[in-house]
Amino acid sequence: MDFEYLRNKRILLVDDEPELLNMLVSILNTEGFLHTETAKTVKEAQEKAESFLPELAVLDVMLPDGDGFSLMEKLKQKRDYPILFLTARGEEEDKFRGFGLGADDYVVKPFLPKELIFRILAILRRSYKEENPYVKLTHSEIDFAGAEVIKEGRHIPLTAKEHDLLSALYRNAGRIVTIDALCEAAWGDNPFGYENTLMAHIRRIREKIELNPSHPKSLITVKGLGYKLNLEEK
Amino acid sequence: MKSVPKLIRQFLGLLIVSFILIFILNIVFLAVIANSRTASGHPYTLAKEIGEALKKTEKGYYLEKEFLDILEKDHIWAVCIDDATHQVVWRTENTPETLPQTYSLSDISNLTMGYIQDCATYAGAAEGGLVVLGYPPYRYWKHLWPTWDYTFIANVPKTLLLGLAANITLILIIYVIANSRLLKSVKPIVTGIQSLPTGEYFHVKEAGVLSELARNINKASDILLSQKHQLRKKETARANWIAGVSHDMRTPLSMVMGYAGQLKEDSTLTPDQRQKASFIVKQSERMKNLINDLNLASKLEYNMQPLHMTVQNMTAILRQVVADFMNMGLEDKYQIEWAAADSPAHLSVNVDKDLMVRAIGNLIQNCMNHNEDGCNIYVSLHQKGNHCVIAVEDNGAGASDTQIENLNHAPHYMMCDSNVKEQRHGLGLLIVKQIAHSHGGRVAIGHSARGGFGVWVFVPLG
Repeated sequence: MDFEYLRNKRILLVDDEPELLNMLVSILNTEGFLHTETAKTVKEAQEKAESFLPELAVLDVMLPDGDGFSLMEKLKQKRDYPILFLTARGEEEDKFRGFGLGADDYVVKPFLPKELIFRILAILRRSYKEENPYVKLTHSEIDFAGAEVIKEGRHIPLTAKEHDLLSALYRNAGRIVTIDALCEAAWGDNPFGYENTLMAHIRRIREKIELNPSHPKSLITVKGLGYKLNLEEK
Repeated sequence: MKSVPKLIRQFLGLLIVSFILIFILNIVFLAVIANSRTASGHPYTLAKEIGEALKKTEKGYYLEKEFLDILEKDHIWAVCIDDATHQVVWRTENTPETLPQTYSLSDISNLTMGYIQDCATYAGAAEGGLVVLGYPPYRYWKHLWPTWDYTFIANVPKTLLLGLAANITLILIIYVIANSRLLKSVKPIVTGIQSLPTGEYFHVKEAGVLSELARNINKASDILLSQKHQLRKKETARANWIAGVSHDMRTPLSMVMGYAGQLKEDSTLTPDQRQKASFIVKQSERMKNLINDLNLASKLEYNMQPLHMTVQNMTAILRQVVADFMNMGLEDKYQIEWAAADSPAHLSVNVDKDLMVRAIGNLIQNCMNHNEDGCNIYVSLHQKGNHCVIAVEDNGAGASDTQIENLNHAPHYMMCDSNVKEQRHGLGLLIVKQIAHSHGGRVAIGHSARGGFGVWVFVPLG
């Protein structure tokens, strides 16, 4: 997939278990994230953050000299960047509900490497999307910054709703995005009753991005559930 | 508190019945007494009889022995005063010596009305004279001035009735005041006793006539509360212990999963080695699910899992769960079908979304766990009465009738207080049941028309 630029982001990993830190670094390196830094305490994390200037922090909730939540506040006071929490699930679980604390996501231990990588990529895509104006599909390209589709050399403009829908699909590229999630992305909360409208929009998007809208290659229907945007296979 | 007005009604009824009964009894009693008194002879009547019986002969007055005996028996003396001379012309033998021999008209008037020398006297007409009977002192009491206002006598029945009514009213008022004071002290006690089974804290004021009762009720309440508190403490301790253990297992398991997951994807290893790594991943995922389930089950069981109820579109939740399973990368042998055509596009239900996601996820995972060779899983939603019904069915191996009976009715080993020897089954279904119950719903387990196992979760619509 076309997210190579995201793998250059600087990631700060904070956990009191050195073994776990080693493993996290190993997982991230394997996936191509080469700019990582680790810290074992709140104090160390603050110091490292000063020089390393992370673009994403992965924080454990329980740290020897404080907790992840207060560390997040301290880090965010200096600079704003996305935070992912690693939690061993417990009382803190409730604090994550609704992400009222300003965390971008949380991963419950134990986790599979691919799960962690997926979450990290999702956050980075959300947070640094402006850096990726171009998406290549089988029969066309989407220029999100210009809000247009380039198909066979023609520039076809996208409406605001089409842009919202494509962005939501692109953020979850290769995965099913439910009808409800798409409606919410385009029409906000309480998106009931937009399903037919959504179908109309999808049809128009297909006319713009597909060569044969009746046999879509990029924007696939998953019957009853939602839609999936497939990026160009490399 | 329905019992208190009932009690008052009963008391009042009893009181009124008592009034009527006492009234009747009194009348009967009075009648009997009056009757017995009249029968024994009245002094006035006796005086009249003696007067008639006294014969005037040439030798003087003469009374027959029969009458003399009556007088003697009752120690009554008798004299006869002559009409013309006002002199005593005849006397019985027991007449006191001190009695005057001559009587003026006023004397006669006095003795007719009252006494002579403390003896109650009664007069009766005799031939040419007046017979006067004298009873021994303290034998009779005479009403000296028996005179009333005429209107008073004319109004006696009315006055009596009024008096009776006033008396009854007065007694009722006294009764109500006395009782309301009693009830006032009974009321908090009744409230207290009624709130005993609820197990909530209450304190009855220990005052008034029933203070001792109140004290005992307070004591009983304290005991119940402290027992409940102790039990709760134990349950909390147990849930905390489970939470602690599962918490401590997560970090080491993270490393097992993390490294095994990496090895599984490592292309420099042989297929055999990668196969082994994938086996470790699979088993550690099982452990992870077990830890999660154990923790949630114990929290739900001891009511330590807070519910975050919001109005949700159940269709959207089901779509999300199914999509998540598909996005996770299902093995080809498993197919999940979301029955879009049969299910409503929107069904609002007040639920804890995370718990619902968990329950449906558990059911889908359950289908896969019990069908190693693969199966189709069918997820659907429909409305039945005032419940929404989530169905998760498969066309796999299914279960026997006995197994289904057990799953529906036998307690799970985690909640069973006796030793369990049968094979233990997972926590997945238990959690689904607990989640349904915490939402006021229920779970039905049975054979699916699709050929395999089916679970139906009923959740009340908001």
